[in-house]
Amino acid sequence: MATTVSTPVSAPPTGARKGTRHKGVQPLRAGQGHSFLLRRLHSLTGIVPIGAFLIEHIVSNFEALKGPAAYAAQVKFLNALPFVRVLEWAFIFLPLIYHAGYGMYIWLRGKSNVIYYPWAGNWLYTAQRWTGGIALAYIIQHVWRQRFSGVNLPDHPGAAFHKVQMELLHPWMFAIYAIAMIATCYHFAYGVWLFCAKWGITSGERARRGFGWVCGVAGLLLCTIGLASMWAFVSPKYRNAPADLTPAQITEGTQAPAPIGQAHTR
Amino acid sequence: MQAAETLTGAAIPLSKPTGKTYRIEIKRQASPDAEPHWDKFDLPQRTGMNVISAMMEIAGNPVTTDGRATTPIAYDANCLEEVCGSCAMRINGKARMACSALIDKVQENGVVRVEPLSKMPVIRDLSVDRSVLFENLKRVQAWVPLDGSYDLGSGPRITPQQQEEAYPLSRCISCTICMEVCPQFNEETNFVGAATIAQAKLFNEHPTGKVLKTERLHALMGDGGIHECGFSGNCVTACPKMLPLTRAISEVSRDVMIQAAKDIFTR
Ligand code: SF4
Ligand code: FES
Repeated sequence: MATTVSTPVSAPPTGARKGTRHKGVQPLRAGQGHSFLLRRLHSLTGIVPIGAFLIEHIVSNFEALKGPAAYAAQVKFLNALPFVRVLEWAFIFLPLIYHAGYGMYIWLRGKSNVIYYPWAGNWLYTAQRWTGGIALAYIIQHVWRQRFSGVNLPDHPGAAFHKVQMELLHPWMFAIYAIAMIATCYHFAYGVWLFCAKWGITSGERARRGFGWVCGVAGLLLCTIGLASMWAFVSPKYRNAPADLTPAQITEGTQAPAPIGQAHTR
Repeated sequence: MQAAETLTGAAIPLSKPTGKTYRIEIKRQASPDAEPHWDKFDLPQRTGMNVISAMMEIAGNPVTTDGRATTPIAYDANCLEEVCGSCAMRINGKARMACSALIDKVQENGVVRVEPLSKMPVIRDLSVDRSVLFENLKRVQAWVPLDGSYDLGSGPRITPQQQEEAYPLSRCISCTICMEVCPQFNEETNFVGAATIAQAKLFNEHPTGKVLKTERLHALMGDGGIHECGFSGNCVTACPKMLPLTRAISEVSRDVMIQAAKDIFTR
């Protein structure tokens, strides 16, 4: 029978006990720093306002399936909200910049080891980082090309359908939008799951597994709505949408007769 | 001799040679700052061997595959029954307890690759300095404060329900595997790791230990605290003692949030 198996060690252990800096991972810095607040803020901003805006954006875009006039009416409605430019910065751009910036910082500091430990949770962890990166790259070009360059949509809501249509008619752009839609919906759905796990809402193993399915189905649904709206812009039904609609045409909305130049198949 | 007997007369099978050999490859370094290198050994395979018994066999005849005499392997181990927590190492790339890693089970095409834990400073060969866990346990005061100069009388009653909650958390053997496999436990985040959070939970729930609950929660709000968890769930999958680690992290996280909210209004 084996008795003792410890082997003598020639080098002395590194001096943790003598108060010198310990090599390797440092112990907890109790009571120091602000990372708790920053990290929780990152978690919260992902749900509100960013997640809430994502749902609003995808649901709003669904109006595109009803045609250019209905889509324009939706754009006009959103841009007519009181303090809309303040709302836009306070509830969309600033939280997004913070969430993206701190998110990249989190990504850079994690050391993914999914090659050694190819377990489900570990894959989800890694995918959360990659989909966040994809979403960020996409959002930068999307906001630049659709919001801050070309026709200014807040002033010309009637041009919205045409502007998006011109973009999505490029097969490359369509693919980029589709990939980004999937990545963003994944990032959001898994983000909601993570939020509930980390804030102690779903603390039980079973609750977490069950809620995982709920988030999965909800994310899939959101993604389907998003992809369907994308389809509206390239489908034969609304090909060659007019470059702009008059306010009267927008007001008439779905009841409007087909604007000139629109190949209407109804 | 084929088998020994227990007191009741039941037969205990003894390790028998199988006639086969296997190769064990070990990542070694002579001192904390030395460059690591690999030594290979061919050993006769016996039934029921584990990675620690392989080390013992090497110590008996420390000669590598290419016939070079070397020193015995330095490693930590003690109980040989997965309760002391000292023998954690990476075996074929995965962190696990060496004493419960049976050669028959872990070998891949007759080869077993053994490396020290990657996130703890190496002292020599497979022996690593895991004092960061001890430091972390001290910082969250993972104990029941009882010291005093007079008789405190009997402690508060612990219900069977409380025991049911506490027992799984008390099984921790401080092996640091949950920290090794965690993508967030590294020198960038200096995350505290699952084991310490589970122990904070254990003592927060204890009727006497809970007097330090607020202090523990405050400690876990510091840099490297509970918020660095990314919920990959590797800890709970890898833990050899099957602690409910993700549950503990989620619940302590909630307590920390509630404490932080309270602090805003009462501090
Ligand atoms: S929680 Fe499990 S893996 Fe972590 S140190 Fe304790 S026994 Fe080891
Ligand atoms: S020797 Fe004690 S756990 Fe392996």
